[in-house]
Amino acid sequence: MTGETRTPSIPPAGVETVCRRSPGYPPALQEGPGAPRTLHVLGGAERLARLTAGPVVAVVGSERATDYGMEMARSLARGLAVSGVTVVSGFANGIAAGAHAGALEIDGPTVTVMSGGVDVVAPASRRGLYERVIESGCAVSVTPCGIKQRPWSAIARARTVAALAAVTVVVEAEERPWDLRVADFARALGRTVAAIPGRVTSPASRGTNALLAQGAPLVRGAQDTLDLLYGVSPGQHDTPSLSSRLRADLRATLERVGDGADTPGKLTGADEDPGETLLALAELELMGLLGRGDGGRYVPRQGLAGG
Amino acid sequence: MLARTRTFTIEGLQTRRVTVEVDIRPGLPAFAIVGLADASVREARERVQAAILNSGYEFPARRITVNLAPGDVPKVGPGLDLALACGVLAASEQLPRERLETHALFGELALDGGVRPCRGTLAVAQACAEERVATLVLAPERAREAMLIDGLAVAAARELRSATRVLSGGPPDPLPAPEDPEPYAGGAGGRRLPDLGEVRGQHHAVRALVVAAAGGHNCLLSGSPGTGKTMLAQRVPSILPALSRPEAIEVTRIHSIAGEQEGVLAQSRPFRAPHHSITTAGLVGGARRGWVGEVVLAHRGVLFLDELSEFAKPTLEALRQPLEDGRVAIVRAKHSAAYPARFMLVAATNPCPCGYAGDRERCRCSETDMARHRRKLSGPLLDRIDLQAKLENTGSEGLAAEPWTSSERARERVMAARERQARRLRDECASVNAHMDVRLLERHARLDESGQRMLREAQSRGTLSARGQHRTLRVARTIADLNGCERVRMRDVGVALSLRPETGLRGSRAA
Repeated sequence: MTGETRTPSIPPAGVETVCRRSPGYPPALQEGPGAPRTLHVLGGAERLARLTAGPVVAVVGSERATDYGMEMARSLARGLAVSGVTVVSGFANGIAAGAHAGALEIDGPTVTVMSGGVDVVAPASRRGLYERVIESGCAVSVTPCGIKQRPWSAIARARTVAALAAVTVVVEAEERPWDLRVADFARALGRTVAAIPGRVTSPASRGTNALLAQGAPLVRGAQDTLDLLYGVSPGQHDTPSLSSRLRADLRATLERVGDGADTPGKLTGADEDPGETLLALAELELMGLLGRGDGGRYVPRQGLAGG
Repeated sequence: MLARTRTFTIEGLQTRRVTVEVDIRPGLPAFAIVGLADASVREARERVQAAILNSGYEFPARRITVNLAPGDVPKVGPGLDLALACGVLAASEQLPRERLETHALFGELALDGGVRPCRGTLAVAQACAEERVATLVLAPERAREAMLIDGLAVAAARELRSATRVLSGGPPDPLPAPEDPEPYAGGAGGRRLPDLGEVRGQHHAVRALVVAAAGGHNCLLSGSPGTGKTMLAQRVPSILPALSRPEAIEVTRIHSIAGEQEGVLAQSRPFRAPHHSITTAGLVGGARRGWVGEVVLAHRGVLFLDELSEFAKPTLEALRQPLEDGRVAIVRAKHSAAYPARFMLVAATNPCPCGYAGDRERCRCSETDMARHRRKLSGPLLDRIDLQAKLENTGSEGLAAEPWTSSERARERVMAARERQARRLRDECASVNAHMDVRLLERHARLDESGQRMLREAQSRGTLSARGQHRTLRVARTIADLNGCERVRMRDVGVALSLRPETGLRGSRAA
């Protein structure tokens, strides 16, 4: 036997294994067929029980997200964490990583579901995120410790994510089985599946737009999700959105960026003196309303309404 | 018999005086050269012998010893041939000796006795003037280059016989008619520089470049392949102010030593665009003794690094000293030297390895690829880049757009802005805004209340580091100068903020 091989039955320190019959097992996970017999938890079974006792929302989507998707995931998770909702997602690149990072921005606890063992960090480049998640939240997995991810383990992960959450919000997904897997499981479990709309022309949002076309509730931000959770019908809350309190020129610039004029060149055109527009961009960036995405594009950091 | 002649050798960018001592005494025929001569100088024996015989002189069949003094300076290159030959002729009493003290000789000999031009003529002429040599004898092709130096008589010699005629008090050969200056390194003199008026669309990037040129700021061009990054960079020299005469001589001297300037005064700023396979030694110098790198050749001009992320990381790190100090100090086992390297860095990069980041249909890069790309660019080098110009994929719409400005108009604005800077920084160690240190910034880039508030806010939100704040202030100062404004207003700060490079080109994907 070489030193590399580890017997899966001996978990590393800190990992607890919760049986389906034991009290620490999240009740939501019991529902439906295929509930895992054991759940491996890093970060404390007690903490997991506490986090899943309150409202839980899954923020999921494509692993290859656009800047828009990343910003939406981030601001949605952040908004939910502010309201005391536990954010659940898989441990993966793209939307999932954005969701965890968004909640962690305000130190909101999250639950991440690993597709391999809870101690196997994949993708390894996200180790920093993993460590921050288990500091305040939990990493859980149905796969025994030390086992690398397998094709089937991603399916098991999707089921766990869907079962843990009362509401699943698909932020950005292409129309592909593996982007919509969590949504499929959630629907099978009879949970609410909502989606954030994207541009009709964008292939990255084809899956979410299809969900909306099939009748999924439309979510524009954390407020809409809270309405779904607590059953407040949309349109009852009437808090003025941040953008309506902005100075007129800033609002105009923000709206133009949202309209797709997302580079300084498109915004300023051939003006002899673009000072005002560039100043507005800088101010919006300082306020945290605009971020910079790949290729130097400006990306609105939250939706204009319902956020 | 003993004779002495004077010549010069070049070490790095330094010129060293060399006294050639020729001693002829009875003995077995031999021709020995001592005094740290390199291979090309030792080969001179054959050239000198053939040239003397083919010019109709006699080569003494005795023991000839040549000493090149001072003995601790390595002598490099074929430029010593002419002094060697004249020394041999004088020592064998075929040439009067009285003018050897006041004349310096510099040139390579052909076997038929002709005199060939050598690298570094301008540097040698400068040294002659400093050493109070009356006349410099050299090949006619380079006579005009040497004549750029005031207070030095230049005598052209087509062949060895002409040189001996000059040394005997005769007239020099006529100078060749001034020909059209030849182009070099990106265009000079008669050749027209590429013009900004040929750039259609990309208004934002052009504006950013004008700001960069006005303040001497290092800048980064980013954009998808085919959007015109290289095209824009090539037009930077055309909007920089023309070289002043001392600067032109400095530039010509460097390029003459590197063998790239062919006998004319540099008229436009150098533009160096090394390929990304360049080694560290190739970029900063030091591959061998006296070898200068691209940063030195770009002195007073533009260093363009295309595909910045493809350069080797240690090579890019080596740029830090020249970017900071305007000079590069090279220390090797057997030699050390400091060269001037004050240039404007223009770098270009794709937003991601495939170049189409943000375009989902075309971008094939994984998140790992993106992270690696960003890592390569992040760090200390990007810290020294003041502003970033983004180019856009505008397609046919952009090609139909009117050019935003022409080089001539842009240069006028740049010159006006530079004049303001020069006036303000008259008594300081900097000459352009980009070189202002913190002390100068505090004195010359005063902000009004709203501008200060904006910067404070940026800093408290963590968007701007202390260094980033200084960079923003420098760029804001330049923008105010371009607008002809003595005060830096809030809008200038805003524009500077929107032009600032993203830290490490970090996209929102990083978690």
